[in-house]
Amino acid sequence: MTIQRVKPGDFTKTPVEKTDDPDFGTDVIPKERYTSRDFMQKEWDRLWTKAWLWGCASQDIEEPGDYIVTSIGKEEILLTRQPDGTARGFYNVCQHRGNRIMMGQGNATTFRCNYHHWEYRLNGEFENIPDADSFPQGKPPCGGLTEVRVQEWNGFVFFSLDPDGESFDDFIHPLKEHLGPYHFERMVKVTDWTVEWDCNWKTSVDAFNESYHVQGIHPELLYFIEDKHLQIDTYEKHNRYLIPFATISHRVNETTEIPHLIKHAMKEAGMDPADFDGRVSEIRGALQKFKRENGPAMGIDYSELNDEQLTDDYHYMIFPNITMNTHAEDLMMFRQRPHETDPDRMYFDVQMFKLLRKDEERPRKPRNERFKHGERSMGLVLDQDAANLPGVQRGMHSAAFDGLWLGDQELRIRHFHKVLMDYVGQD
Amino acid sequence: MDLGLKGKKAAVTGGSRGIGKSIATLLAQEGCDVSICARGQDAIAATRAEIEGHGVQSFGTALQGRDGESVRTWMRDTCETFGGLDVLVCSLSAGGGTNDERYWYRSFEIDLMSATRAVEEAYPHLKASGSGSILIVSSMAAAETFVSPMAYNAMKAALVTWSKQLAEHYAPKGIRVNCLQPGPTMFPGSNWEMIKVARSRIYSGVLRQQPTRRMGEAEEIARAAVFLASPAARWVTGATLRVDGGYTKGVQF
Repeated sequence: MTIQRVKPGDFTKTPVEKTDDPDFGTDVIPKERYTSRDFMQKEWDRLWTKAWLWGCASQDIEEPGDYIVTSIGKEEILLTRQPDGTARGFYNVCQHRGNRIMMGQGNATTFRCNYHHWEYRLNGEFENIPDADSFPQGKPPCGGLTEVRVQEWNGFVFFSLDPDGESFDDFIHPLKEHLGPYHFERMVKVTDWTVEWDCNWKTSVDAFNESYHVQGIHPELLYFIEDKHLQIDTYEKHNRYLIPFATISHRVNETTEIPHLIKHAMKEAGMDPADFDGRVSEIRGALQKFKRENGPAMGIDYSELNDEQLTDDYHYMIFPNITMNTHAEDLMMFRQRPHETDPDRMYFDVQMFKLLRKDEERPRKPRNERFKHGERSMGLVLDQDAANLPGVQRGMHSAAFDGLWLGDQELRIRHFHKVLMDYVGQD
Repeated sequence: MDLGLKGKKAAVTGGSRGIGKSIATLLAQEGCDVSICARGQDAIAATRAEIEGHGVQSFGTALQGRDGESVRTWMRDTCETFGGLDVLVCSLSAGGGTNDERYWYRSFEIDLMSATRAVEEAYPHLKASGSGSILIVSSMAAAETFVSPMAYNAMKAALVTWSKQLAEHYAPKGIRVNCLQPGPTMFPGSNWEMIKVARSRIYSGVLRQQPTRRMGEAEEIARAAVFLASPAARWVTGATLRVDGGYTKGVQF
């Protein structure tokens, strides 16, 4: 069974050309990158404090005074909307005794530290210091909170801890052109989880950078996606694969009954599986056509997306730690953050966004829910990934394991490690 | 025992895959010319080649089961091409899976109406045959609660009642009518093969109830089907035969 792909000449705004596969060799990826505290420190010094990092969704700080606290490693960053509509970011630390200033998210007119009520304006400047005249040395000369660079793009706020680092435009290239057509800024956030996982942050990044594991731990998906014959593209820092959905894997036989996940995708689009007379392998194309024709009536604008974007997952990795499952109507985004001190632990953030249909009521803004692996379900597929990772991390410490033995289907992992080492420099 | 099928003319709806295909090729092996209809042209071509491999004639049309006129046309074309008909097996099915309203119409058209339409068109030829027989493929899912309430189970039950009345009505015309109720059956490309992978809990739940801890194979169903359809079963009519490896628990009195 061949999968129909967008051909040269077909409409697309997101580039679909296959990039030449780089030759990164076949060497083992040393396991120490996943287990060593020394390497973890190098990552902090050379990667986390240098690269642009995803901070929050623009809608998390929609109105002036809205703020949200995010963290990376030992640092907390306060992201906030200014009266002029721009987003700014500051280290979330009081210049007095080092206390954290804000927690979670909300709206404020000033940022006031709970400890001695030192107060800062939305732009970070000192607003009020109680008993200021009791400080013979005067106010700290910094003038207020320490600012970090912030850039807003496509509905997201990125920040960089490096005051002199590369521009965001250089960093994100070429993804503006790739992801712009999805208009994430039109989507609303519906899920916001932070899960503590017992593995290195890269163990998780790797898990989403190949689909070779689908036949291993997600057998159900063989009746929903083509897991092997997919296009892998690598760019300067970022990479992607284009993975056909609403079809069946070449690994399984075509059935007469429509597999339940495909049925679900049809129903979501308003297409009744009971009225479909074609073969299962013909559904993907038919569903693309149906969405193209019926999108406007449902209040969904598909005009900037090509046909296969209407069914497939254009799966992007924004270096170093963002996984984006992009679909025409929704975005399932994962952010992988290192633990503050332990290379065997990490924070896995799940944020899901969706387009609202015509007349669909905007759901309540989700609160960030924080839990540990296994405490609650995230849905079958993510649970399968999550259940697997602690075992991978444990094995990394085994005397019998040297490192990752990667195949062609895992090219994105090699590419990720290439870019990682461009930053970190040495093992 | 000779089944007496050599030189007979047979038609099997849905004969390009699974149980239907197994019945079609077994009939060919017994010496029947065999005609089939199904959705996929490729599968029809492959099955016809297999049928002809047994030194008999084949015929086949790709059609949508809920397109009544196509089913009728295929039946008429079959009888015309073969110059008559002795055996009709109605095996076409929409499958199970949901209780949504549109699926009731789909099951009604494909499972029930394709059978009644084929029978209606075949009737004069089966009557002329002198040893005409009809086999309706129902399902054990008609006899006991199975998986969940859905159109499939109810339509398969309707086929049982209809075939019994048909048997009495056609007996004086020399046409036998029987009904077959297969249990869960596994073959490459079967829905059970998909359910085993995609909905493994449903699969293991069903398998646990099977005393032999395995599902049936298409040929195990086809052997019973071909016997019932053959002149060897000439005193069997109005029967409903369950072929399920002991799956069902109810006692049939």
